[in-house]
Amino acid sequence: MNYGLTEDQASILAGLDQLIAAHSPEAPKEPRNYYYDAELDRAVAEAGYLQIAREPGFGVLEAALIAERLARLPWVVEAATSAIVAPVLPIPADLQPIALSSGDFSRPARFLPIAKVLVLNRGEDALIVRLDNATIEPVETLMAYPYGRLKSIEGLECQRIAQCDDLRRRWRIALACEAAGSMAAALAQVVEHVKARYAFGRPLGSFQAIQHRLAMAAEVTEAAKWLALRAAWSDIEADAAMAAGFAQCQVSQFTYDLHQFCGAMGLTLEFPLHLWTYRLRALVGEVGGASAQSQAAARATWTEAA
Amino acid sequence: MEFGWSADEETHRTRVREVLQRTLPPDWETLSAHGPGSDEQTAFSRVMCKALAQERLLIPHWPKEFGGDDETVWRQFIMAEELWAAGEPRGPQYMNVNWVGPVMMQFGTPAQIEKYLPPIRAGEAIWCQGFSEPSAGSDLASLRTSAVPVERGYRVTGAKIWTSYAGHADTCFLLARLPSAAGGPQGKSAIVILLVDMRSPGIQVKPIPALLGNGDIHEVFFDNVFVPVEERFGAEGQAWEIIKYLLQHERVGIPRYAFSRRALDRAVAKLKALGRWSDPIVQDRAGRALMFCEACRMLVYHVVDGKARNLPPDAYGSLARWSIVQADNAVNDFLTEFLPEGLLEQDPVQLAHHQRAIAAGVASGAAEIQLNIAAQSWLELPREPKRG
Repeated sequence: MNYGLTEDQASILAGLDQLIAAHSPEAPKEPRNYYYDAELDRAVAEAGYLQIAREPGFGVLEAALIAERLARLPWVVEAATSAIVAPVLPIPADLQPIALSSGDFSRPARFLPIAKVLVLNRGEDALIVRLDNATIEPVETLMAYPYGRLKSIEGLECQRIAQCDDLRRRWRIALACEAAGSMAAALAQVVEHVKARYAFGRPLGSFQAIQHRLAMAAEVTEAAKWLALRAAWSDIEADAAMAAGFAQCQVSQFTYDLHQFCGAMGLTLEFPLHLWTYRLRALVGEVGGASAQSQAAARATWTEAA
Repeated sequence: MEFGWSADEETHRTRVREVLQRTLPPDWETLSAHGPGSDEQTAFSRVMCKALAQERLLIPHWPKEFGGDDETVWRQFIMAEELWAAGEPRGPQYMNVNWVGPVMMQFGTPAQIEKYLPPIRAGEAIWCQGFSEPSAGSDLASLRTSAVPVERGYRVTGAKIWTSYAGHADTCFLLARLPSAAGGPQGKSAIVILLVDMRSPGIQVKPIPALLGNGDIHEVFFDNVFVPVEERFGAEGQAWEIIKYLLQHERVGIPRYAFSRRALDRAVAKLKALGRWSDPIVQDRAGRALMFCEACRMLVYHVVDGKARNLPPDAYGSLARWSIVQADNAVNDFLTEFLPEGLLEQDPVQLAHHQRAIAAGVASGAAEIQLNIAAQSWLELPREPKRG
């Protein structure tokens, strides 16, 4: 047991931070629901960060560290799926961005407008849909990711995957990493706000009512991160389901509190809190939502033999 | 970064489990339901701790010069996890090995070390901690029990409350206040620590009937009790430094989630036997309780990892403490909803878990104080201005 980064892991994250600093665009002028940064997405991919889980001596844990770090940025990039989920899919290593969705192909999917491939979890099986000639309608949403809807699946190259356990497990890990990074960034944003904002002659952050709930949010954020990293390390069903489920079932209280402490300002697009809280809300329903994860965690933990 | 155990640590855990299996009596579950401060469990702790001492599992984490084996932090914690999961068969003596001994080694005089460590090592000592008072609980620094310096010692007068194990304790680790005179010590610097023989004339112990189990908490009254100066622990004015040191040992020393996890595992086994496990609602709620237990485990491990890697102490322990409250209550809520019959004196482990869970946010100081610490030290939020 050792929670410290190895030298290699520290070096990977330091390199990623440098890349982010070099590629991050200026603060956006127009308030928007999300900011997708294609250039940063490309730079992260070209630097090999999304392939880390396939490299000898590295694995899903390193991919998770990268995904969690990238999720803290105000700009969304499609990294978690490519770095964590893609290695268990029968697709070329450089085929990304990737969109993930469940159920019918026509449901709105995260990252679909910029994706080269859609992975559709259908429960019993999954479908990999190449999007080279696809028609994708953008979907307007409050959620802080680019969403799109596939107009038709006809004529598109599709590949069926009969066994979805690996896909679902890695999806849960990826989701948990994105949630953990988003929570960390959202919390940091609000902590800065309540330090700077005064009411009744005092910083908001000096009121105990606010301190307690932010401390609880900090506990949730830390727990979400370590559960996600443990799941990435073990790469087993029970840990993955716990990590995703814990994050999903905490989103409601977490986002409520964080917005509450920013008052009406927190409900504007100008104030950047939604860039993370509306990612969290987008993640709440994925892979079946918190109830599906908790049932999966329970079944995996307490098998018939247990 | 590594979330697994070494072969040596796995072997150690297996050995602790084997010793427990060999040593715990067949009626241990019933016995442990009485609470760690009960007559039954206190008496058993003397048997159990002797057995652990013989197996060199009582104080393995102590330095060799004090009779320990210089065990690693993680091996110590693995043992604590297994003992706590089993219902803490060391009873009140867990306190001795977790913090009384280590604090004694750090701050005790040679005579105090000579007097107090051997009975702890032998598994025979019962201590209580005289901290909380009717007007000083989480706000420990406002305690009022007085220690008036007299020839060759101190005269102690006052009352302590919520004192665990006082009914059986040989010695009390007592916090008292020196009289404040003009120019004399005040506030925290006026607190003095005294090691009080509980058989001293003038001490009266009254058990407080409670939801927590028999004999667990007490009022302790001190009426002009004489304490020899040799029993002052640390220098006058040093008490707060010692208290902070011991609270660090006390608060991360208890892997309470391990007992919650065991209670949850047992509940699932029972629900399976009753044919109720296939209900998706039961699985959902069990899974959620499990998540809270494991979230807590990850945060507590983070604190232990900091100790193992000699990192400077930080406020992470306060976050971990809050997660303990969440985990204990999540499991307690699950058990109460899906196996309510367990609290009707049918399941001693569930009853024992319930009694620990309802105290999770109160024992060792209110959890809200930990939220204050987390907010101010971890998040670096500004302190609330003092009133008046």
